[in-house]
Amino acid sequence: MVKRSEKAKTMRKLIKAIWIFNWFNSCGFAELVPLVGSRWDMERFGMIIVGTPRHADVLFIAGYQTHKSIERAKRIYEQMAEPKVIIALGSCTMTGGMYWDSYNTIKKLDDYLPVTMYIPGCPPRPEAVFEACEKIFGHVKELE
Amino acid sequence: MIEELETISQDSEYDLYFGPAHPGSGNFGVKLKVDGEIVTSARADPGYLHRGFEKLMEYRTPIQNAVLSDRLCVLEPLNWNLIHAEAVDELMGIEIPDRAKYIRVIMAELSRIQSHIIWYGVFSKGTGFDTGFKMAFGYRDFILDLFELITGGRVYPAGYICPGGVRRDFPKNTKDKILKVLDKMNKMIKLWEMENPALNARAKDIGVLKINDAIRLGATGPVLRGSGMKTDVRKEEPYEIYDKLDFEVPFREEGDAYARYWIGIEEMKQSIKIVKQALNDLPNGEFIESSCKKPKLNVKIPEGEVYVRNEVSRGEAAIYMVSDGNTKPYRVKVRGPDFLHMIPVLEFLLKGVQIADVPAVYWSLNICPADMDR
Amino acid sequence: MANKENELIDELKNKFKLEPKIQRERRIWVSFDSNNILKIFKWIREYGFTHLSSISVTDWLEKGIYELTYHLWSYEHNMIITFKTKISRDKPIIESVTSIWGESAQIHERELHELFGVKFKDNPDLTPLFLENWEGPAPFRKDFNWRKYVTEEFYSDDNEREKIYYD
Repeated sequence: MVKRSEKAKTMRKLIKAIWIFNWFNSCGFAELVPLVGSRWDMERFGMIIVGTPRHADVLFIAGYQTHKSIERAKRIYEQMAEPKVIIALGSCTMTGGMYWDSYNTIKKLDDYLPVTMYIPGCPPRPEAVFEACEKIFGHVKELE
Repeated sequence: MIEELETISQDSEYDLYFGPAHPGSGNFGVKLKVDGEIVTSARADPGYLHRGFEKLMEYRTPIQNAVLSDRLCVLEPLNWNLIHAEAVDELMGIEIPDRAKYIRVIMAELSRIQSHIIWYGVFSKGTGFDTGFKMAFGYRDFILDLFELITGGRVYPAGYICPGGVRRDFPKNTKDKILKVLDKMNKMIKLWEMENPALNARAKDIGVLKINDAIRLGATGPVLRGSGMKTDVRKEEPYEIYDKLDFEVPFREEGDAYARYWIGIEEMKQSIKIVKQALNDLPNGEFIESSCKKPKLNVKIPEGEVYVRNEVSRGEAAIYMVSDGNTKPYRVKVRGPDFLHMIPVLEFLLKGVQIADVPAVYWSLNICPADMDR
Repeated sequence: MANKENELIDELKNKFKLEPKIQRERRIWVSFDSNNILKIFKWIREYGFTHLSSISVTDWLEKGIYELTYHLWSYEHNMIITFKTKISRDKPIIESVTSIWGESAQIHERELHELFGVKFKDNPDLTPLFLENWEGPAPFRKDFNWRKYVTEEFYSDDNEREKIYYD
């Protein structure tokens, strides 16, 4: 029998349906809000949006971040309770994206926060977001 | 016997931060000073999305800028695409074929309808009418499917309206598909016109803006029309083919949040009328000027300067472009309507309202934080 | 209407000795000296130009000047007139037009103070608008090269994939 760590055990017990706290920047607003609507209904998968980070499991960072907004994002991440996961949307979080030569944006989100999963695209389609959430469930099951 | 508690101080003013992480406020923060239930003063806190667009455009050629210009305001990319293409066309002296002008107007008006649907959705959510929010985002997807058919992208059209015309022609059967979508939009507007008593109570006589204050604070577009002035850039300075089309400009005298919301719904009806007329008169011919068909690198822009004004969904937009004879523009200044609506107008309107009315005033101005920070 | 533009041009020539030019229908461009700024603008506002569309600064590095442009729109006459003036690049100071056009001028000047470093006298509030704790030079000046700054600060030299290989 493989011994699973304590952290893996708690994560498997607690993550059955994801509660999301949306911290989206502008590009995320145009592509994540339709997910709540009736066409790409995300409540059938168990995902709902909560209004405070203390109730949330997943933090969605969608779009580019600037120096001013990354500090607020860090504070929000610290207020979330374990277990927690970060999903980063868009190509601006991976390499800087279209604004790579701007003096005010963050180029690699990995330098500031521990990211679990990246979703590429500019902006990514709703089907890609659902596939990413499915992979989160799979990842939690296989955790050591 | 209950003793009276002693009062520690007579001051009851405290700070309330209606900040960027609030689900009802978008990417923009407002610092309020509140006394009991009444707001005494407000101070805007911009800058969460500042990328320095104007200088980014100085490092890129006009063809590259056409792709960058859709991201000036995320909620209505095609309108900003259009104003940037007009500025480059005027600076380089390009004559656009007629079919391209009609296609440009059709795409811009569809984008205006889509942007007003978002306005209706978030305004309903702010005043507590959640059904309106879900319905709005459900109906908006029909228009996004049209955009995907014509330009290739749901949200960002990748520079579809480029200097010289448009990138590619309409595919077959587009006209029937557009007419079907417009029928659905008509049904949706009929549903929304039913009077909602909760909305009336929360939006009438709230956030009143008189006409003299509106002009002094720099308001344009639906905010100025709601205060009693009948003005529209498409009628005063017609660009593309707006002088050949027949449409009205709705306006109201009261200047409260309900008047602005009513104007948004009337403007959607006028946009549907414009698209139907343009589809009827669509001429055959080229969709792009022949020298711009295969984009050449290193084309020099002649020296000069231009100032172009357009009417985007939120108000008056303008671009001031200067060139000194190189392949890249020397200075691009972007004037967006939200820069004036979100800082001076909002700080003026939030004085003296109750905390519960703050979302109704805030969302009735139809804000877009990306356009303010650039 | 060429009539309205010509009337306005004649009045400006007689009263203030300026040389306006017509670029096309509804567009007039005129240069003026920054010392007469308040006199000219008070008159033009009473003539009917009540809407200040925008204020902008162009940085001419070789000539060593900042060129300020004021774009004004009139709801009565339906035209735009643009006023241009030049100030020095090392000590950019000019009077503010907040007393004439109110808060819409004040917010435009606050943004230009932060991005270009221009000082406007008598502007009630010139605190930073977009940036927090920024210690570098004024960001939009032409001698601040963004691509060089970004490659030094954020991208590392040892990583082959992060080198710039095009212009």
